[in-house]
Amino acid sequence: MPPSPCALCKVNRALILRPKDHSKLCRPCFLSTFEAEIHHTITSSRLFERGERIAIGASGGKDSTVLASVLKTLNERYDYGVELILLSIDEGIRGYRDDSLETVKRNAQQYGMPLEILGYDELYGWTMDQVVEQVGKRGNCTYCGVFRRQALDRGAAKLGVKHVVTGHNADDVAETVLMNLLRGDLPRLSRTTSIVTSTPSLSADGAGKNTNIKRSKPLKYTYEKEIVLYAHHKNLDYFSTECIYSPEAFRGSARALIKNLERVRPSAILDVVRSGEDMAKLVPGSDEGCGGVCASAVPAGEEEEGGCGSANGRSSGGEMATMEDQLSQNEAAKANGLEVEITSSKIKKSEAPLPLTVGKSRKVPKASQPRKEPKKQVMGQCKKCGYLSSQEICKACVLLEGLNKNRPKNHIEVGYEQEKDVNGATEAMKQLDVGAG
Amino acid sequence: MPGKTNTDMADQPCRRCKETAAVLVVRKEPLCRDCFIRYVHTKVIKHMESFRVRNADPNHQRKLLLALSFGASSVSLLHILDEIRKRQASKTGRTGFTLSVIYVESEGQIPDQDLLARVPEAYPDYEFDYKVPHWVFNMVPENDKLLDLVPPEARNFSSDGKLMSLLKSLNSVTARADVISTLRTRLVVEHAKASGCEGILWGDSTTRLAEKTLAETAKGRGFSLPWHVADGQSPFGIAFNYPLGDLLKKELVSYVNVVGDHLPSLVLESAPTQASMSSKNTTIDDLMKQYFESVEENFPSIVSNVVRTTGKLEATSTTTATPRCDLCSMPVSDGRFGINGWGGDQHARLDTVGTSNGTQLCYGCTRSIPQQSATTNGST
Repeated sequence: MPPSPCALCKVNRALILRPKDHSKLCRPCFLSTFEAEIHHTITSSRLFERGERIAIGASGGKDSTVLASVLKTLNERYDYGVELILLSIDEGIRGYRDDSLETVKRNAQQYGMPLEILGYDELYGWTMDQVVEQVGKRGNCTYCGVFRRQALDRGAAKLGVKHVVTGHNADDVAETVLMNLLRGDLPRLSRTTSIVTSTPSLSADGAGKNTNIKRSKPLKYTYEKEIVLYAHHKNLDYFSTECIYSPEAFRGSARALIKNLERVRPSAILDVVRSGEDMAKLVPGSDEGCGGVCASAVPAGEEEEGGCGSANGRSSGGEMATMEDQLSQNEAAKANGLEVEITSSKIKKSEAPLPLTVGKSRKVPKASQPRKEPKKQVMGQCKKCGYLSSQEICKACVLLEGLNKNRPKNHIEVGYEQEKDVNGATEAMKQLDVGAG
Repeated sequence: MPGKTNTDMADQPCRRCKETAAVLVVRKEPLCRDCFIRYVHTKVIKHMESFRVRNADPNHQRKLLLALSFGASSVSLLHILDEIRKRQASKTGRTGFTLSVIYVESEGQIPDQDLLARVPEAYPDYEFDYKVPHWVFNMVPENDKLLDLVPPEARNFSSDGKLMSLLKSLNSVTARADVISTLRTRLVVEHAKASGCEGILWGDSTTRLAEKTLAETAKGRGFSLPWHVADGQSPFGIAFNYPLGDLLKKELVSYVNVVGDHLPSLVLESAPTQASMSSKNTTIDDLMKQYFESVEENFPSIVSNVVRTTGKLEATSTTTATPRCDLCSMPVSDGRFGINGWGGDQHARLDTVGTSNGTQLCYGCTRSIPQQSATTNGST
């Protein structure tokens, strides 16, 4: 095939096949199109305000690195007049964050942005390594995801920042749409599709100072593959590794599906995002109709999206199996509930005593088990930490309570560790002796 | 495969009647033949509540159109409904409804005359019609905007030629499959109206509905999902009903074999859904079919949960005045036609509504039939 010219400038040789629409572009045209599209998203959704201080949730991964670089470029080029800050969360996973945090530190220098690193240990008294030691690898991503969500807000509050931008891209959003369809979670589907999530109504009383944080996703319509290409062609310094604890789950399943869809029809990712936005308007009791502008719109607090920097699963690999069990139990209970109803009406007719119901009554309470219904969540504040929550106590505090309850166990383990340490120490002393001898 | 479970079931009694030996396990319950058949029928009857004898006008037999594809699901549906009617007749001396059956040929699946003849033979009480997808062009009203989608040079062609040239103008197998299936739906609707049916019974299983949910989501038709999976009045002005909506595909395959008799001989063996190595020959529908075949294997409740969840979406209220998509005929509120003019459209073009030739396609249909003004944005 003869070299084809760039579809835009028609001058340079096309070097890049755009993942989004398969158009052939040269390097400069690709870079400027990529930037222009994000600029378009920012301006058309009115994400930023002049004079705003904005924290970029930075993990050192490709998404947040590209986000930081593009925002710096655009802020200078189009004079948004915003102040950009990098905010990193250290989950305390040895070997995972050490290197990525180094990357963020370099980014901070490269882009001339202030950097704040907040550790889970500072915020919660637990590093993820300690959590995993306690709860095992199953389910640990839940802790990580719940903690991170608050961590970014707490970090932002600490910096006096009211707006956090995250690197969620179109693939992440599409994945979340499919994942929530698979999980049957319509409220979350409707929340996670909006480009801005915020809780302005909670700012009134002082206790909510953590929660009054606006979040947005400037890369919501940007393809992951293009982010990688941009990072590559701009020679951006990013760190790529998957979280060592992240296993396959619902998200993994949805992710594989999205990748296959993209192969069959490149526009599919964007099409799923569009479907998600349209479906959000059809969720009963959703506020989406107002376009996310009205005061009660889209609480961010318990929204869960790509938990980890790698946007892989937050929950254990058995997540689908667990849900399958739950659902089939619900179905069985429902069927049994119906059976009881029918027998009792029959009984009424024949005026027989109640012999059969005894055996089945054991199962009856199951029928009233809370089933997942798309009910409107009433957002309030956690009584313990004041963070936005639909429950009395927020998820993080519940999880922490569980962890702390089990701390004594941990002490025993520490005792065991100490033994080891003693051995180590004696060995060290022996060596000392040798050295002295 | 249904046979797989039979072996280790031999000595288990049926969980329901506790008498007969179980022949298969259904959602963790070992069931005997009779209890399994009753289980399937009960699930169907639940969707047919409004067609009970007591709801029927003695002077007017309600006629419903059953869309048959010769797959295990729709063949089962025909059989079950026939059984239900027989029982209604024997109990009350009359029936709550009657059926009309239509088969619309699908691509690469031309049943032999023998098979076609077997349906009226086995179910002589019902009208049986056989149609080819392109006939839809002759069946819609003359001024229907659907005809404007045919490339201008083919407007005078026969219906076959119209379809051929329309398909030829499309750029992918996904687009072609999507357009054909949309045309099939419209053909069935036109036929139902023309033959005086008051509703259409679709043979979609839970599994198929879940596939459809995700496939339509992936094609950008999230806005019209509530109309694709739930029983009730459709935007076509005719009721849609999914009597198999609570049964898994594998349960219906089992049903055909458990009932035996003439049923297996009516099922057209469909080629196993093979992962085509080339993404060029794979459609979004294929992809979802494969996906849910595997999910159904280990997580059947998740499959039904997808359908139940989608059923909770509330269709936007529409009137006859709400503009429709020229292809799929779904109401598009706020005139959000085409693929431009939303957050994900990065081109900030102004020509958002309608196109130069006056056709109006919804987002999903525009992906399949790119319009003149949109050709530079998106697919090549």
